[in-house]
Amino acid sequence: MKLTMVVAGRVVRQLLRNRRFVALSIAAPLVIVYLLKLFFDTLPPGFDVARYAVPVAAFIVHFLAFLLCAIALVQERTAGTMERMLVNGFRRAEIIGGYVVGYLGLATLQALAALTEVIWLFGLDYGTGTLLTLFVVIWLLALASVMLGIFVSTFARRESQVLPFIPLIILPSVFLSGLLVDVGKLPTWADWLGHLFPLFWANDVIQKVISPSGSLEHAWGSLAVLVGYGAVLLLFASFTLRDPE
Amino acid sequence: MYAIEVEGLVKRYGGVEALGGVDLAVPEGAVFGLVGPNGAGKTTLIKALVGSLRPTGGRTRVLGLDPLEERRELRRSIGYMPQPPSLYDDLSAEENVVFFAAAHGVSDPRRRAAEVLEFTDLSRRARDPVYTLSGGMQRRVSLACALVHRPRVLFLDEPTAAVDPRLRSRFWETFSELAGGGATLFISTHLMDEAMLCDRVAILRRGRIVTSETPRGILRMGKTHLRIRREGGEEEKTIGGRPEDLAAALKAYGLAPDVAAVEVESDSLETVVLSLIEEGGEG
Repeated sequence: MKLTMVVAGRVVRQLLRNRRFVALSIAAPLVIVYLLKLFFDTLPPGFDVARYAVPVAAFIVHFLAFLLCAIALVQERTAGTMERMLVNGFRRAEIIGGYVVGYLGLATLQALAALTEVIWLFGLDYGTGTLLTLFVVIWLLALASVMLGIFVSTFARRESQVLPFIPLIILPSVFLSGLLVDVGKLPTWADWLGHLFPLFWANDVIQKVISPSGSLEHAWGSLAVLVGYGAVLLLFASFTLRDPE
Repeated sequence: MYAIEVEGLVKRYGGVEALGGVDLAVPEGAVFGLVGPNGAGKTTLIKALVGSLRPTGGRTRVLGLDPLEERRELRRSIGYMPQPPSLYDDLSAEENVVFFAAAHGVSDPRRRAAEVLEFTDLSRRARDPVYTLSGGMQRRVSLACALVHRPRVLFLDEPTAAVDPRLRSRFWETFSELAGGGATLFISTHLMDEAMLCDRVAILRRGRIVTSETPRGILRMGKTHLRIRREGGEEEKTIGGRPEDLAAALKAYGLAPDVAAVEVESDSLETVVLSLIEEGGEG
C-alpha cells in the first residue's frame, strides 16, 4: 500500500508539472461539449438533447482518461523507468494502483467540469440525487478507462502503437453503447458486442437516471457491472503488465 | 564470499541465443568489469543479474538470492543503473532521487537525496527538470538514483557511454569511493582504459565468457614485440607477454656487444582483448 502511494504521489507530481497538459485535458471536454451544443442548436425544436448531452460528456472523459493513461504507461516502458521500478521492487499491482489513484484526481476534475458545463449549457434541471449519481457514473467510467488504458498499454511498445486501439476500442463503443442509437435496434450480435464496452453500462445508468420515469433503483445492475468491469480490468492489467521476458 | 555467482546462464530469444552458458563469480567488494563488443550480451547479462529478465536456463545468485524469484528481498541490497538514463524527465533531479529513496523506505528521503546529489556533484542543478540537464548530468542523476539506498551491489550498464573524458574520470573516482566503502561494483564497458581500472575483467563474446582475469593477467596473454638494433641491421621478434618471456629472450641474446638498442613494445589491453575475442573462433 505504501509503495502504491509512492507511485501515486509521483504520478500526481508529474501531472502537476505539466500544467498545460492538465489544463488542456480539462479544457478539451469543455470545448467539445460546447461544440455539441452548437450542433444540437441546429436541430429542430423538441429534440431530446438530454439523452445525448450527458453520455457524450461521459464519453469524452472516458476517451481522454484511457488515452492519457495508456500513453503515460507506454512512456514508462520506452523510457526504461518501468524496468527500473520493477528492479527496485515495486509490484505490478502497486504500479497499477498508483496510476489509478494518480489519474483519478484528473478524471474527477474532468468529470466535474464536463458535467457542470453540460447541465449549465443545456439548461438541464436535475435533482441533487440525480446529479450525484451522474457524477459517480462518469467517475466510475473514468476508473474503468484508466484500467483499460493500462491493459492496452501492455500491447504497445511505442506511444504511436496506442493509436490503433482508438478505432478498435473507442470508436465502436460510440456506435454500440447506445450513445447515438438505441441498442435494441441493432442486430443481436452487435447488441451483445456493445455489452463488452464500459461505456454501454455507463450510458445505461445515465439513461435510466435521467429519464422522467426512471430512477437509480432500475440502474443498480448496470452500476454494479460498471464497478465489476473496473475490477476485472484491474485483474487483467495486473496480469498483463509486462513481466520480465 | 561471492557477491555474484552465475552458473551456466542461458538466455534465448526465440531462436537467437543471447547468452550461451555464462559462468562467473564476483567476490564481494570487487570492482568487476564486463568487457565485450556491441551485441556480445553485456546488457542481457546485467538484466538477468538484476532480475529484469527471465533466463532460459542456468543458476544466478546475487548475495545468495535468486534475482527474479527473490526480487523483493534482494531489492534493498542492489542498485541498478540501466544503459539509457531511465528517469522521469519532467521531474527534477531531486524528485527522481526522492522517488527511488521513498521506494526503499529510506528514512528522510530528502536529506539522503541531497547527500547523493552532492556526491554526484549535482547539487546546483538538483531542482531543475531532468530534460533541461545535459546527457552527462542525466547519467549522474541516474547513478544517484541507483545508489540512494546504499546498495551492497551496484550494477552499472555502460555508465560512461557517450560521456566526455573529464566526466568519465569523475565517474571512476566515484566508483572507487563506493568500492572503498565496501560495495561490489559490476560495470559493463567497451572502453579498455576503464577495464584497466577494474579488479577483475571478464570478456564476453557472443554470449560466452572468453576469460575472466585481472587486467594484468589479461595483458600477460598478449604479445611483446622486440626490435633489436645491432651491427648487422635490425631484427624484429615477437615473444609472449609475460615478464619471464622477456627475460628469456634477453638471455638468448646474452646482450651481445653488438646490440646497440632494444625496443620493447607490449600489446595494449585493447589489442589483447580484441585478439582474445577473435581467437574465440566461430560460435
